[in-house]
This record gives sequence, C-alpha cells and structure tokens, in this order.
Amino acid sequence: MSFNADLYVERDSWVHRMDPRIKVIFVVLGIVTILLFKNIFVVLLALVLTHLLILSARIPRENIVWVWKRMIPINILIPVLFVIFYPEGPVVFQFLFLKITPLAAVRGLALVLRLDAIAFLVFSWIFTTDQTKIVRSFVKLGLPYNGGLVLALSLRYIPTFYGLYGTVSEAQKARALDLGKGSFVQRLRQYLPILVAMIISALRTADKLGQALESRALGYSGARRTYYHDIAFRPVDYAYLSLILVAFVAVLYVRFGLDAGLDLINPLP
Amino acid sequence: MDENGPCITTEDVWYRYSDEIVALRGISLEIPQGTFLAILGQNGSGKTTLVKHFNGLLRPAEGHVLVDGQDTSQRSIGQLAKSVGYVFQNPDHQIFCATTREELAFGPQNLDLLPEEVEQRTNETLELFGLAEHAEKPPALLGFGLRRKITIAAVYAMRPKILILDEPTTGLDWQSTLDLMLLLQNLHRQGHTILLVTHDMKVAAAFTERTLVLRDGQVLLHDDTRSVFCQSETLRQTQIEPPQIMQLANRLRPLGMPEGVLTVQECFDAYSRLRAPA
Repeated sequence: MSFNADLYVERDSWVHRMDPRIKVIFVVLGIVTILLFKNIFVVLLALVLTHLLILSARIPRENIVWVWKRMIPINILIPVLFVIFYPEGPVVFQFLFLKITPLAAVRGLALVLRLDAIAFLVFSWIFTTDQTKIVRSFVKLGLPYNGGLVLALSLRYIPTFYGLYGTVSEAQKARALDLGKGSFVQRLRQYLPILVAMIISALRTADKLGQALESRALGYSGARRTYYHDIAFRPVDYAYLSLILVAFVAVLYVRFGLDAGLDLINPLP
Repeated sequence: MDENGPCITTEDVWYRYSDEIVALRGISLEIPQGTFLAILGQNGSGKTTLVKHFNGLLRPAEGHVLVDGQDTSQRSIGQLAKSVGYVFQNPDHQIFCATTREELAFGPQNLDLLPEEVEQRTNETLELFGLAEHAEKPPALLGFGLRRKITIAAVYAMRPKILILDEPTTGLDWQSTLDLMLLLQNLHRQGHTILLVTHDMKVAAAFTERTLVLRDGQVLLHDDTRSVFCQSETLRQTQIEPPQIMQLANRLRPLGMPEGVLTVQECFDAYSRLRAPA
C-alpha cells in the first residue's frame, strides 16, 4: 500500500454500510473501554477483536500490515524504555545500574498493545468510511456546516500538499539544493527553501479557494443547504447502536461493578 | 567534448510511473550542442517526464541518458545542476527568499563558489534580466510575469550550459512572452542550449531552430522547426495545428505563396516578392 492521504478502502461490507455516526460513537466508546483496563490479556483481546472487525469489513491484509509497520518503532521503544527506567519485581540480570526485570517488560508491552488496539480501532473506522461521510456524520452530530467544510477541505488538500511537497523539493533540488547531508540542524535548515516555498503556495491556494467558494455562493444568507449525499439510520443501525450501548454498559459493570481487569497479569477480580 | 556534438543523448529510454502508466516508450534522440529546441505534444505525451531525465530528477527505467557524454545515473542532481538548469512551470514552487537578490544567489551558493563569485554572478544576472530595480524586493509579492522571470534568472545564475524551461510562457501576456523569448534568444546566441517545453506554436515557430514532437511517450517528429511544421498531416495525429500565419500561407500557395512560411514577417516578405514587378 503506497502513501495516500485517503485511506478509505471501497468495499461492500456490513461495517461500510453502518451509519457513520454509529461508527464515531463506537470508536469513542471503544477507546474509553481500552483505556479503562490495564490487564494485558484484556488489551490483547481488544486488539484481536479490532483485527477481526477489520477483516470482516473485507479490508485487505496489506492494509493491516501497513498499520503494523508504522507501529513497529513505538512497539519496540516503549517496552525497552520501561525496562530501562521502571524496573519492578524480580531481577533476572543486572549490569551496572541497569536491572532487567521481566515485569517491567510486560508492563511496557501492555501499554503499547493498548496503543495498538486504539490505533486499529481508529483505522477500522477510517478504512471503512469515506471522507465525505466522516464529515457528514460530524455535521449531523452537531458540528456547524462551516466547521465540517473546513474539515473536509483539510482532508481533501492533504494529497494536494503532498504532491506540492514533491514538486517544490524537485524545483529546489534542480537548483543544487542538497538534502540529507550534515548535522541534524544543518539538515533542518536544508528544508527551509522547501518549507517557505510551500507556505507561500499554500497561502495563495487558500486565498484563491476562499474566493472560488464565495463565487459559488457559500454562506449565501437565508438559504438552507441541501445535501447530495445524505445519511439516514436504517433499522439495522438502531440494532447496532443498542448493541454497542448494551456492550458498553456491560464493560462498565465488569470494570467498576466487579473491579476486574485492573491487575497487569490476572484478569479476574 | 566535440563542439558540435550532442550535449544530450538518450538511448532507448523507458519510464513508467506505475505498471499501467508508461510515460516514455523507447525514446532515442540526440540534441546537438547550442540548439534552441521546442518540445511539443499533447498533455500527457511525456514532455515533462522526458526533460526531467536530463537533470536527473527522474532516472530511466530502461535505457540511458547521457549529458555531455556522461550517464546521468552516475551523477547526482546537484552535480547535473551545474550543467543543466531546469525552470519549473509554476514560479511559486521555487521562490522562497526574502529578496530577489537572495533568490538569485541561492543556486550559485549551493555550487560551493567563492562569495565574490556568487555576488558577481548575482549582479550580472540582475542586470541581464532587467531585475536590478527589484533586487531588494520580496519576490513572492511581485507580479506573475516578474516572478516567472526571477525563477528563470535564478536558474540562469548557476550558469548552466543547458537551460530547460517547462511552459515558461503560460499565463503571460504577449508583450511579456515576447520579452522572455527575446531574452532566451539572446542566451541562445551566447551559446546556451535551450529546451523549451511549450503548447504555444507561434512561439515555437518564431523562435526555435529545432522541434521535437512527442506522442504517447514516443518521438513523432524531430527535425528543424520549419520541416516539422510543414508536416501538417503527421502533426494532426497529435492535434497540433501549425501557427495560423502558416495555415494562411498554405491556403495561399495556389496563388504563388512558397511553402514553409513560419512567421508574419516571412509571410509579408513572400507576399511583397509576389507583388513586386518582375
């Protein structure tokens, strides 16, 4: 999978057909759920479930691999940092001040798996919902239309600016700008010609875009907007919503009623 | 290096953006030293892709590109920039400095020249391009025609032997176009090789010596400009019409107008000869 700002994968699955508002609610409650538990097995279960969700939406495996590749650095870094800075429990090996404790590694792992689960939850939403629907769902959930438009335009312009970055760096390289040599500070300075030229171009684009939108009667007073793509709940969406809410209440009961899932290793109360 | 030998040679160059999008399909050509070449073709015919190979921004998937006899795959863009200047279509993709003077100095500074040499080149370029009065102004805030001129000047300041310009006259009024083309003609007379990617047939006919026509990533025609525009049947394959004055002159051929009239001046001269008493 190459870089593309629009990560949406067009398929016809039950997740794709689900009302985008429900997906927003599901993602928010899902993140809350994952943050409520500290037990490594509960977090692992959440991670497995998000993968099953993505696979059931018929998203290709490459996309899952693509996400994992981006998560690798943090997946290594966090457990290592935990082992170095937060030793706890029995020590299996000691070198000068460095104490290697398996428990610290497990704690670091539990934390990073939580981040992985949250990432895959968010991606299950982004992979299955096209940008117009994401924006429409926010507007339907109460975001003012202009706010939604700003969001849609920012998403729309990510690939444009990515392309602009390519062109501008080519233009500066053609003037013998040598990128990627010297110290860190020197390398940062080398990007200045690209950054400044991009900002100038972006400001010009923004100015023209504003005028173009106004010329097409955006904000024309007194008029009600009609929508080409509208979203509406189907009976099955009510069922999904009820199921999500019931599941969330159950989660709250397990966590606060039974006090389960707090221990790092033992999931039971 | 042979004085009149080719400064750019391509040998069976192929380039693909992806499996489906093949931009160049076996381009083989020689561009002689000191030529003024127009590169024509429809959008997507491979003009920009081809010229990006000449300064190393793109490397051929197959085949070789030689600049001054050296394979571009052996040289970095920075090294190639010394001999091949490339002016991008949109000036805003290049301009970033606080003053025009700094903008012009940026390229030469990258070439590791002595500060005096950079200053001398900058001053000379400001003079040559008539930009002295704008030297201390922020280039991003100047008009479009001036911004275009500054980007060409900024590349020229690096003193490349070969100058590539991607659609430099787009969006310019006729007077600015004429000023720009006379400037390029002047550079050409000083010995620079100039490659002009353009859709403006009037400009190509009036100013360039040779013309390369691309179609679908292949060379359709590559000859001196007059011969190329005389082949109207072949040009029609790629929706290129010769300049209007040439079309008019062709219609007047039954009345004695000669073949291959390219400019208004040539048409006028030929007509005057026709009308002159024998």
